[in-house]
Amino acid sequence: MALQDLRPMMERCSSCSGCKFIPFEKIQSVRFAENCPSIGYYNFHTYAARGRFQLSQSVLDGRTELTETVTEAIHSCTSCGLCDVTCKITRYNLEPLAHNLEQKAYAVEKGAVLPAQKTIMETLAKENSMIPGTKKKNRTDWAKDLNLKDLFKEKGEIAFFAGCKYSYDEKLQKTAQDAVRILQHAGVDLGYLGAADNCCTGRAKQMGYFKEFDKGANTNIKAFEKAGVKTIVTPCSDCYNSFKRQYAELGMEVEVLHVVEYIERLILEGKIKFSKSVPMTVTYHDPCHLGRQGEKFEAWEGIDKKIFNQIHIYEPRKPRYNGIDGVYDAPRNILKAIPGVNLVEMERIREYSWCCGAGGGCSQTLPEYSAWTAGERIAEANSTGADALVTACPWCKDNFTDAEDEDGNKMEVLDIIDLVHKAI
Amino acid sequence: MALAREVYQAFEDIVGNRNISEDIGVCETYRSIPSQTSAHYGPSKEWTPLPQAVILPGSTEEVQNIVKICNKYGIEFKAGSTFWATMAYIGGDNAVQLDMRRMKSIEIDAKNMAAVVEPFAIAGTIQAEAMKVGLNVQIPGVGCSSSTLASSSGWAGFGPASIFMGANPENLLGAEWVLPNGEILRTGSLGSGDGWFCGEGPGPSTRGILRGIFGPAGSMGVCTKIATRLHPWPGPKQFRTYGKAPAYKADFGDNFKCYTLCYPDWESWARSVQYFHESDVLYIGHRQFNMFGRNLKAFMLNIITDPEKQLSDLPELLKDPEIQKHNDNMKHDYQVVIAGMTKRDMEYKEKAIDYILEQTGGWKHEMMLEKEKHDYALAYMTRLGHKNLNYVMCGAYEGTFGLSGNVWKTIQVVEEASAQKRKWETEHTCIAATGGDSAMGGVSSLGGGGATGWEFFTNFDSYELESVQGTSDMVDENQAFHNKYAFGPDFCRWNSDVRHVNGYSYTQEEHDEMFAKAPQPWIYAYQYKIREAVNPNHLCGSYLRTLSPGKLEGK
Repeated sequence: MALQDLRPMMERCSSCSGCKFIPFEKIQSVRFAENCPSIGYYNFHTYAARGRFQLSQSVLDGRTELTETVTEAIHSCTSCGLCDVTCKITRYNLEPLAHNLEQKAYAVEKGAVLPAQKTIMETLAKENSMIPGTKKKNRTDWAKDLNLKDLFKEKGEIAFFAGCKYSYDEKLQKTAQDAVRILQHAGVDLGYLGAADNCCTGRAKQMGYFKEFDKGANTNIKAFEKAGVKTIVTPCSDCYNSFKRQYAELGMEVEVLHVVEYIERLILEGKIKFSKSVPMTVTYHDPCHLGRQGEKFEAWEGIDKKIFNQIHIYEPRKPRYNGIDGVYDAPRNILKAIPGVNLVEMERIREYSWCCGAGGGCSQTLPEYSAWTAGERIAEANSTGADALVTACPWCKDNFTDAEDEDGNKMEVLDIIDLVHKAI
Repeated sequence: MALAREVYQAFEDIVGNRNISEDIGVCETYRSIPSQTSAHYGPSKEWTPLPQAVILPGSTEEVQNIVKICNKYGIEFKAGSTFWATMAYIGGDNAVQLDMRRMKSIEIDAKNMAAVVEPFAIAGTIQAEAMKVGLNVQIPGVGCSSSTLASSSGWAGFGPASIFMGANPENLLGAEWVLPNGEILRTGSLGSGDGWFCGEGPGPSTRGILRGIFGPAGSMGVCTKIATRLHPWPGPKQFRTYGKAPAYKADFGDNFKCYTLCYPDWESWARSVQYFHESDVLYIGHRQFNMFGRNLKAFMLNIITDPEKQLSDLPELLKDPEIQKHNDNMKHDYQVVIAGMTKRDMEYKEKAIDYILEQTGGWKHEMMLEKEKHDYALAYMTRLGHKNLNYVMCGAYEGTFGLSGNVWKTIQVVEEASAQKRKWETEHTCIAATGGDSAMGGVSSLGGGGATGWEFFTNFDSYELESVQGTSDMVDENQAFHNKYAFGPDFCRWNSDVRHVNGYSYTQEEHDEMFAKAPQPWIYAYQYKIREAVNPNHLCGSYLRTLSPGKLEGK
């Protein structure tokens, strides 16, 4: 697929503004009605999906060059996919997210990238990590004392995959360690890839580096196969999306579970029991790549055809990712099962959840904008009266931790694993 | 031609460097492409002119200062909010585009049943804020992603709820208006310092200038704030829904009902509409789902109300005899919503509907009484959040014919218009073949009941040149139909006298030639005088229809 191949999609967009708001039926207030961080921050129409469609038309027609402003506009999409959900409320054949990623890939191919992206990609090439300053040799240090099986040396079927953020970020490593301990305590026989544990490269794809993603993904798929892995468990939502959606597209057939799915399963099986009360009111943030982008990949091969002269259909029926089958209930069921926890909801939840701002590499490449995006969520979380904001992704948690709303208010931010650990 | 540095700097000094751009990529996204949206001057693949800069003002004062700079240097400007309609875009080369996105505040005055709103306050957000205090706002037929300020002060602004709430020009309770010369005019009671309660005074009235079905469409400066009348909402304080995307469904309680009312023929259809105009029963009344066409509407309703279905299911659904029967039963139909202010009020309205159906031989459509379809239609009609299904079939649509007026006039010609469209569906391939009749619109475009506001939805593929051109050719032929009945311009050509097909404004000489021969030319001469008084430098395009007084025949 190339950007030019999406030209019909660009020209069939009708400029309705659906890409600027959450689904209209879900709007409860003017304050939390909008859906797109990039137009929210930069304000120009250019930054909404419609503007991006139009920008691509102009670029492909040769009227627009990839200026510094255009480059920033293209890469400011957090790849959160909310415009994709809202567009599909009324349009069955437009896929803004696929377009935005392809637009980034086009820019990358033309050398129109952000300075920080270069550093990140150099780190990926040299150290197999998305976090500059980290070293491959330290990647599994976080797991030293956990009795995780090296699946290349010992037999096992379940691989725990922490991902770059949990592996390297010292503030977050304890959460990954607790996740492992919770699962082990419930009797799960966990292993990991040891020396073959590498970046999932999902964020590279989110930034438009498709070739690098393919290379990393294919290496990892082979590693999982060689190690005999049947199930991958990850606490990282970005990794989850990579494995469940992107790797599946490349042919991987391994079961993929986010930790929240596994914990929910173990609660239902009676293998995790809570003995302590955690008296607090919390609100839950749905990570984009666990929620609306956490839907299962379905292979499709077919054609786009017209009936009744001009009505577009797919033959056979094409899977339609509109976000509704993402992982939404598992984290909520866990929170409801923890004694003392009172869950209150924000206005923008589930398939129309606001992005944390870290996606698309933006927390590393455009930090001011990313922090504003997180601050918007902090404002929304504070409006619920909750004591803490809970999430299930290290990128989200990290981005929220120091974020402030427009009045300078912060909020306690917890990983859902932290809460589960407190209650056991 | 880039703006002179001193001019750009002057704009930047007003809004700050974050809120202005002359980057080619940014400016290119502020060009309208009439095949990709509804332009009302015919679909074409031309792009409107490229602005020299895009400016995002954040306050009335900033708008005023921008306008003063434009006057000083002779630069055209135009303000847009949602950038849906082509009328929001500039019409010349030496022009800047104002994007009003930063101005989106909503202040609800519950006691006086009004909302004071800025340009980027869309109808969906105003409704959400109004519902918190038991009030509602009239949402134009175009849908809730439209700017209420624009539909009140610049264009038609009528919709499904107009029978109960009036059209938005009727709801305008005053405006804060930066005139094209940079002066600020506060209209109605606001202008005399008495607040936003009456659009006509005490204080300056601008009836006939800011409002009307052919409003100034942004060609007379920038309205930075308006007050719009709000109306009773006897439902929940939040727009409560259930169900999976994209088929969200309403959960409003027992005092709301949405019916699809059907009739054996157009005569009984029209009689029922007349009864509803007289009876004050309806909260909403609209021929909505016929937008999918007479042959397909029941099948499309089975798709859009089911989150698992998609257009690819249409061929299989078309084989279902039960749905075909439902489709046959809704040939002459429209949707209504009744809202009970009290239990007794609801009972009365239910009885009134039953009585009208009895008098006219009509019926409630059975399929649309199924709970999920009922609740979907209720959510759809109340918020108009799914209005962009207009585009679902092909990617683009234009409204043609535009049989707006007395309902008895409409029904005399609706079948002839349907046959003409059907001929294009069967003899050509440029438009979707949906069954000829795709007439949709309000059972009243005025508060209390009155003229209908109809258009025939005509779906085409904006990507395919032949489809775009063929649709335009069809509208040309439809214009002959309009000429035969003296209906004026076809809906699709409503703006063809204010902007060239290539997106450029008309010159005064071109307008003089058009309007000297038009019916009631004094109107255009009057508008010329108004424009000369407040827009002497002609800086906002040619959407205001004007005729040089010296060109009036006989003068």
